[in-house]
Amino acid sequence: MLSISDVVIGILQAAVIMALSPLVTGIMRKTKARTQKRAGAGVLQPYYDIAKLLRKDEVVSDQSSWIFRVSPWINFVAIGTAAFFIPVFLAYSPFGLAGDLLLVIGLFALARFFTMLAGLDVSSSFGGLGSSREMMLSSLLEPAAFLAVFVVAVTYGGTNISTITEAASGSALLPHPQLIFAAIAMFVVMLGETGRLPFDNPATHLELTMVHEAMALEYSGKSLALVEWSQSIKQLILFALIVDMFVPWAIPQYPGPMAVGLGLSAFVVKVAVLAAGVAFLESSVAKWRLFRLPDLVSVAIASSMIGLVFYYL
Amino acid sequence: MFEAIVLLFLGGAVLALASGNRRFSVYAIYLPPMAGSALAVLFSVAVITGRPFSWAAQGVVPFFHLEIFVDGISAFFMLMIGIITFAVSLYSIGYSREYQEARRVQAFGFLFNVFVASMFLVVSSNNGFFFLVFWELMSLASFFLVIYNHEREENIRSGMTYLVMTHIGTAFIFVSFLIGYLQTGSLSFDSMRGSSTSFPFLAKNLIFVFAFVGFGTKAGIVPLHTWLPRAHPAAPSNVSALMSAVMIKMGIYGLVRTLFGLAGLGASPEYAWWGVLLIVAGSASALVGVLYAVVERDIKRALAYSSIENTGIILIGLGLSVVFASYHLVALSALALVASMMHAVNHSFFKGLLFMGAGSVVHATRTGDLERLGGLVRLMPWTSLLFLVGAVSISGLPPSNGFVSEWLVLQALLSSSQIPSTILQISIAFASLPLALTIGMAAATFVRLFAMTFLSKARSKLALNVGEVPRTMIAGMAILASACLFLGILPSLGISLSASAFHLQYIPPGPFDAVSLQNASGRSFAGLSMPVVAIMLSCMALASLGFVRVMGGRTSRTAGGTWDCGFGGLDERMEYTATSLSQPIRAVFKTLFRPHSESDREPYEQANPYLVRSVRFNSSTRNIFEENLYNPLVSSTLLVLDKMRKIQTGKINSYLLYIMITIILLLLFVRLSHA
Repeated sequence: MLSISDVVIGILQAAVIMALSPLVTGIMRKTKARTQKRAGAGVLQPYYDIAKLLRKDEVVSDQSSWIFRVSPWINFVAIGTAAFFIPVFLAYSPFGLAGDLLLVIGLFALARFFTMLAGLDVSSSFGGLGSSREMMLSSLLEPAAFLAVFVVAVTYGGTNISTITEAASGSALLPHPQLIFAAIAMFVVMLGETGRLPFDNPATHLELTMVHEAMALEYSGKSLALVEWSQSIKQLILFALIVDMFVPWAIPQYPGPMAVGLGLSAFVVKVAVLAAGVAFLESSVAKWRLFRLPDLVSVAIASSMIGLVFYYL
Repeated sequence: MFEAIVLLFLGGAVLALASGNRRFSVYAIYLPPMAGSALAVLFSVAVITGRPFSWAAQGVVPFFHLEIFVDGISAFFMLMIGIITFAVSLYSIGYSREYQEARRVQAFGFLFNVFVASMFLVVSSNNGFFFLVFWELMSLASFFLVIYNHEREENIRSGMTYLVMTHIGTAFIFVSFLIGYLQTGSLSFDSMRGSSTSFPFLAKNLIFVFAFVGFGTKAGIVPLHTWLPRAHPAAPSNVSALMSAVMIKMGIYGLVRTLFGLAGLGASPEYAWWGVLLIVAGSASALVGVLYAVVERDIKRALAYSSIENTGIILIGLGLSVVFASYHLVALSALALVASMMHAVNHSFFKGLLFMGAGSVVHATRTGDLERLGGLVRLMPWTSLLFLVGAVSISGLPPSNGFVSEWLVLQALLSSSQIPSTILQISIAFASLPLALTIGMAAATFVRLFAMTFLSKARSKLALNVGEVPRTMIAGMAILASACLFLGILPSLGISLSASAFHLQYIPPGPFDAVSLQNASGRSFAGLSMPVVAIMLSCMALASLGFVRVMGGRTSRTAGGTWDCGFGGLDERMEYTATSLSQPIRAVFKTLFRPHSESDREPYEQANPYLVRSVRFNSSTRNIFEENLYNPLVSSTLLVLDKMRKIQTGKINSYLLYIMITIILLLLFVRLSHA
């Protein structure tokens, strides 16, 4: 049964994810700017953006229906709820009894479902274009995510995130060979799900490159703030999952002031390194042609399948 | 009570014939089945929670002993029939008015009631002979319902395909029962069940294979699915709802009966191939079904393809259950069976709902072509909301029932790591790829269906001047929509009901009504508590509303035009169409679809090809199953029949000669066999 302190710990972990997520986005933008020899905005800029957008009036398309207006909220609520299942500074999340990794993937799918609908709701070609591309990419990325999760789940004996992280936190770096393959798959899935290069370029608004941005093109004001923030939260959740599953160092098993401090700082450092790495990678690769992307996702799927075979052999 | 239910359905059929085409005849047609199905729900719940019901009526049919036996399994499917029939009958009160104006509604009402009654009797008969009689009644009633709109040549052809396929299926079921009869000397299910474990291994295998093909045809397994995407769109939508939600589940019922009873499945690894066959067929059906669904232009045909997909998921669960049972992993076998049956129930709820929703759209706009729909969310608010609930559920998104059953199937699949056979572990692990792809594609399919039907601007005049459908139709859909959400938020109710229906080791709900799965050592490996998830979602919604209000303060919202890059004049011809929306998927899976497109430009002047007067564009995909499997089969059969026609000379002398030759051959046969 859950005790009050467990509930508090769970809410705190989710709050950390939601609060730190714009910072991670900021770190990535800064790293990209630096690798491209630009000064770039400060790492806190995403916070200012969200705060500013929250106070702005909105313009909505006269063609749109309630689906368009409700979708940013569903997006934010689904992804925000997913954050409650992610261990941050402890090796377990107290809400893990209520949901597992498959639920997190399901909540992401719920958010994406409404984002795609919203893209089509405004009857502009941009929205349709984004939704059409997202339909193709997500229907390939979701199985890749499932399979990567499968490898991790059979290795650590369950899809409960707490079970996985607790089992992983005691072990050395990648103690099982199949996890290397799962990590490769999970990394590709993370790039695709968060709309990073070579899948999507979060920095441009060109119709040749847009996927996620095209669906969110009509949003402004509060809705845009919610869309951007939930995208950041989703990104941090995926980073946290990768960190928890594949780099499980210095994650304390039991709560305590020292342990929480250690766990939190270890988490921040690991995530920051991963974020900077992704940003660096983004600066060094070009956007791929849309129909080459299934090849990349197939690499992820094949990698997970090899991982599964490795586990059983 | 059983008699009363059957009498109510048959009474509805008689009343339908008697009532004529009056104003109140729709009530005469649909109120009796509503009462009957409400009673059926009570009856089946009583059977599941209490004792089985048996009723033997000697002399009802001369020479044959009508045995009725309703155990938990029958009652489980009866419950499904009851709930769906209630909702569909309510829906039909409004829906049938369309037919009342055009033509006599009596025949329709008669067939509708007979159809429901026959399905009810199929699951409750305990004798191979009567099972087949009711099965045939069900097939024929549904055939006549499929061709009810017989003015259209296409519908007749769809009906004929259905008739042929369903009879091929019946023939296989018949053979399966005959093998059981040869072993026991009786067509009674009781005697087959009693001695099936001692049948020779070959007989068991044959019973299973024939039943698999026979019931698989009804359930829509690839490549026996070809009737399904034709018959469902041809039928009136309330019948499509019944067929897709309940009738194809009769195939699943037959398979469950055969596997866990008539075929004598034993706990030994030599039976594992039955499960593997089911998993392979299920994976193929799931993937092929969803890939055709995602590119289909007709809303009802897309839903029919999605039924094939869901049958596939149900079969994967069933197959896993058989594999686990053959390795004597009792708890896992129970998990997989519960997963499969929960998905069967959930599919009947959301597919019934979606077919009724599609029926409302077709009813209002007179078209099911996605390229002509759009913008209905403002004109049909209730239909669109209820259709959205169905779409979210069938896409397996939390917090809906589809998510829970797909979660259970995935957990069963993950548990295959406990099978003590490496080759099976690896091959079942590979089955997770088609299942995962299916789940991803299903969401894309229903984004497309919902968006193209209800969102953005209308793509043709047909979808412009329409209104909301009558209240009874909305009420029918609302029943199933609330059932979807109810089983999504409180799944343990459905799980414990199905566990007790199938006499499975009860999976007790964990704290907070959680489905908590434990491995052999008692450690929880997966937990899911949908009530808590629902509470978390609503708390999160409240918290974010409050946060945004406090942080952002009061802001206004103004309506403006959609961004048109400053050119102006954005109209419905510039928005994405259903075909263009699924184009990337068509391109990725081009080996399956073999997309073919041609464009034909007519310039103003031959000299300048850039000034185009008109462009004609035609894009098509091919059905590789029809082209590579059925067409050669049909044409070679026709060829053989053509050759055989030569002996039909039409002269009486030659026929006398044939009779003579036959008699001589028979005499020789008798003589030799007695020698």
